[in-house]
Amino acid sequence: MFDLIIRSLTQRKMRTGLTIFGIALGIFAVVVMGGMSEHSNLTFDRSMKLTAEMIRVMPDTSLGGSLDDSKVKEVRRVPGVSDAYGLLMMPLDQENLAMGFGGDMVVGIAPEKQRVALKDTKLTDGRLLVEGDGNRAVIGSSIAREFKLKVGDELEVKSKRLQRATSITHVRNFTVVGILEYTGSFYDSMVTIPLDTAQKFYEQEKKVSVVLAYAEQDADPEDLSKRIELSVDNVKTISPGELRKQVEGQLVIFSLITVSAAVLAALIGGLSVMNTMLMSVSERTKEFGILKALGAERKDILFMTMGEAALMGIIGGIFGIAIGGTLVYYLNDILASKGTALFDITPRLVVVALLFATILGMVCGTYPAYRATRMSPMEALRYE
Amino acid sequence: MSNNENNGKQPKNDEPILRIMNLRKTYMQGKIPVRALDGVSFDVKKGEFLSIVGPSGSGKSTLLSMIGLLDKPTEGSVFIDGVEISRAKESEAPKVRREKIGFVFQHFNLLSTLSAMENVDIAMRFTGVPKNKRRERAFELLTRVGLGDRVNHKPSELSGGQQQRVSIARALANNPAIILADEPTGAVDTKTREVIVELLRGLSERGQTIIVVTHDMDVAQRTDRIITMRDGMIASDISSGEKK
Repeated sequence: MFDLIIRSLTQRKMRTGLTIFGIALGIFAVVVMGGMSEHSNLTFDRSMKLTAEMIRVMPDTSLGGSLDDSKVKEVRRVPGVSDAYGLLMMPLDQENLAMGFGGDMVVGIAPEKQRVALKDTKLTDGRLLVEGDGNRAVIGSSIAREFKLKVGDELEVKSKRLQRATSITHVRNFTVVGILEYTGSFYDSMVTIPLDTAQKFYEQEKKVSVVLAYAEQDADPEDLSKRIELSVDNVKTISPGELRKQVEGQLVIFSLITVSAAVLAALIGGLSVMNTMLMSVSERTKEFGILKALGAERKDILFMTMGEAALMGIIGGIFGIAIGGTLVYYLNDILASKGTALFDITPRLVVVALLFATILGMVCGTYPAYRATRMSPMEALRYE
Repeated sequence: MSNNENNGKQPKNDEPILRIMNLRKTYMQGKIPVRALDGVSFDVKKGEFLSIVGPSGSGKSTLLSMIGLLDKPTEGSVFIDGVEISRAKESEAPKVRREKIGFVFQHFNLLSTLSAMENVDIAMRFTGVPKNKRRERAFELLTRVGLGDRVNHKPSELSGGQQQRVSIARALANNPAIILADEPTGAVDTKTREVIVELLRGLSERGQTIIVVTHDMDVAQRTDRIITMRDGMIASDISSGEKK
């Protein structure tokens, strides 16, 4: 039967080609959009793994702002806290204030805390910050690629300071002393400099953006998070659980938007399969009549028509994945030179896209196949 | 290969292979009922070469489709090999069609995308015959109808007579109890008509039961028995011995 399916598809090359192209376009959208969604999910997962046990302590204002250095000591004194340290975080590009996912950041950290903060992240070259490092920096893998930096090279960092109505930009060169391995997390877009240098450079004396606290082994981070909030004045905390919930919420919305757009595109591809199959069934009315007269059963006709639809789905799916994968590969390559990545084609995504294409083809081929099986052989044979 | 085929002539026994009993078929033309068949009864013996003749609208093609299970009678019964096939459920009809009936159509009804070999082969696919056996049998049948050198030709590369011979080979593929031929010479020239009729006669002489619906009295005269239909009824039923 499979040879008959192939023959039927190859017999109408143009129509089959266009239908496969329709499915391929839909699956291409699924791959690209899904790849975007997968990338953000993976980045989030990797980032969470690196910072899973940290409790974030921030100023208790909705406007952000900074915390006084003294808060670090206060947090450290809360029972159940094993360690705490402050970070001063600033966008690397002061003209384009896009912090968070994808945005490059300068992070001021006490050199002795850098090992703790980085967990088991390794260096590909150089060393971590040490006491007494002034204008020295450890950079993430994306920063190194974006600015084509090696250990010993200089990275220009700008700070913007407001003076009355104008702002003055200060520039300072930092010598790269270490480059971190690729982690797939926000660490890749980080320039780490000594905290005291950062505070002076950004004129944030004795200030930190966030305090990161670690719970003792037997302490529950969620409880401890609440305890810190009650014990230290004017701070709010985000426990690892809360952070996961917040980010996951945003990721779900992002995934919903991207996946919906992709599914819509794929459904349009599916409609083209249905159209093709309906035309094919109506053109082959007589052929089905002959097959029935020869003793073909409903399941044989169903198998043939649905097999054709499914095969077009599978081929369209493979093409869609291949085209999507190639585009994503080149886009990631271009984006890598800017220090970021936007897509991740995971095996899960490939399997989902291929299954989706096959099922889409089959579902859209069901109605035409049903029509083909419903025909009376007598009427079908008379059909011209 | 089958019960129906032998290499030489064989005596035809008296056990009917086909029995039609009081067959009626009424179609609705809008709100008006039209009687296409009105109480048709007859028996066909194994190996008989029978023709059904009659003017257009006399019910001969309707009768053929009832025997071939392409349509259901309103009343009456059709028995093949003693089994009432007119009562077969829709799901059982394909099995009866592929095991008991072989169709030959006026316009051949070959699948244009398939070669002669594949057109014969396809009839055996639905009975689950293994591929190598199918090929072997298709080749044998095509050779028997004189197309052993045309097996890989598509219908468009064959003449009308050759196409009809492929269609006869296809009808024989599953060793059916009966071959139903609807105007098998209706779309071919006189010379080819002779070839087709001789071919069918030869098959009949080997024990194959053949029922031919035809307008062509020359063809009918060459069969063992002629049933003439008029207004959905049998007007006459003459066997070769009685023919003038």
